[in-house]
Amino acid sequence: MSVLRPFGELESAVMDRMWAASRPLSVREVLDDLRGDRVLAYTTVMTVMDNLYRKGWLTRKREGRAYLYRPSASREVHAARLMSQAFTEGGDPAATLVHFIEAMSPDEAAALRHALSEQPGVDPGAGQ
Amino acid sequence: MIVALVLAGYAATLALAGPRVLRRSSWTARAPRLAIGAWQALSVSVLSSLVLAGLALAAPTAPFSTNLAAVLRTCLIAIERGYATPGGAGAALAGLVLTTTVGGWSLGCLVTGLARSARERARHVQALSLVARASEHPDTVVLDHGTPAAYCLSGRHRRVVLTSAALAALDKPQLRAVLAHEEAHLAGHHHLVVAAAAALHRAFPRVPLFVQAHREVARLVELVADDVAARRHGRFPVAAAMVTMAAGQAPSVALAAGGAGALERVRRLVGPAHPLGPGALLASFAIVIALLFAPMLAVASPALAAARIPGFPAATAISRAAMGPNCHDPGMVARPPRSQR
Repeated sequence: MSVLRPFGELESAVMDRMWAASRPLSVREVLDDLRGDRVLAYTTVMTVMDNLYRKGWLTRKREGRAYLYRPSASREVHAARLMSQAFTEGGDPAATLVHFIEAMSPDEAAALRHALSEQPGVDPGAGQ
Repeated sequence: MIVALVLAGYAATLALAGPRVLRRSSWTARAPRLAIGAWQALSVSVLSSLVLAGLALAAPTAPFSTNLAAVLRTCLIAIERGYATPGGAGAALAGLVLTTTVGGWSLGCLVTGLARSARERARHVQALSLVARASEHPDTVVLDHGTPAAYCLSGRHRRVVLTSAALAALDKPQLRAVLAHEEAHLAGHHHLVVAAAAALHRAFPRVPLFVQAHREVARLVELVADDVAARRHGRFPVAAAMVTMAAGQAPSVALAAGGAGALERVRRLVGPAHPLGPGALLASFAIVIALLFAPMLAVASPALAAARIPGFPAATAISRAAMGPNCHDPGMVARPPRSQR
């Protein structure tokens, strides 16, 4: 996930850890977890998690002197949200552009299968 | 005045008859790229005719010359003459209003439309970078979702997005076909093509031409991408991929019934290919070019006529080459020569 913004890659690594965790995590715990992969400062991870909290990806609760963070929604919920954004006419269909295939009813899918079976031996590679 | 009326009539005729002719033509599916060009030419031609009609009213003798100072002086004289008569001032004002509203509104809607879709794309890509998983294919990410789907995001952070269900359902050749289809969208900058048509649709939501141009362009870019994928990986895998993806659609996500379009695409791919021959292709291309430049010709002809009037500074250079002084009184300035009426 290339250079989207300064902390892009780290944000994604943090979210991976948060979604994998079964309980709320502190910055220190995430840092220890991430340190296996790379050299990181505590303040860097704190900044990234604070950003994620401000953008609504994480929620937090004060626990003694530190915050405990948890994801605001599961990865599946976010995936479903992105899908509906991509496929809703109300959004901007031009933004995500055309999907390979529109959603369709079972009848339409059956008609499609039928159209495919009509001509099994086609000439491959002959485009326009 | 006559030029303005001719241009306005041209715009109205194109806007009314153009979509009907194009939608009835059978060649559009055989040469989708050219058909997209035809829809674009139709839209641009209608808008530019209206803008030029306004200009023709406001400055009846907008001359064509490489000498900018002369052009400006000629325009000033023309406008002064126009305003000297009461009817002329009204017409000129109406012309200015027409030009600025049509031109400004379409340009404004295009710019904001394109900017908006770029913003939404950027936001979507950002969210994807957190939610989606990387895949073995370059620029392709996988979204964990139970519905087979594929789409792409163009722009600076181009991405092809596949759902995990699509990845599970498609076999190797089908997957290659889908990726090639999405790649074709990205390489062809189809997002801009569709976004521009969408912006004009939003700008003029009641004009059937722009409503249909948007719908048709969105359909035709799919055909173009299908053709590219079919050329690379065979026609059958593309059609088979569509059927595989359709089979896994959960009824709950059936937001829009896009089945008719998909059916057309599958039929087109399994049937024998018959692309447009070079002769028909050339003829259609010529018509597209003619559509684009006809309005300019309509404006150029009175300007050439005006060039023969000695009082006009821009005229002097041109009139030397012209057929000789054919002087009319000032009231005749806007009119094309008799032979062209």
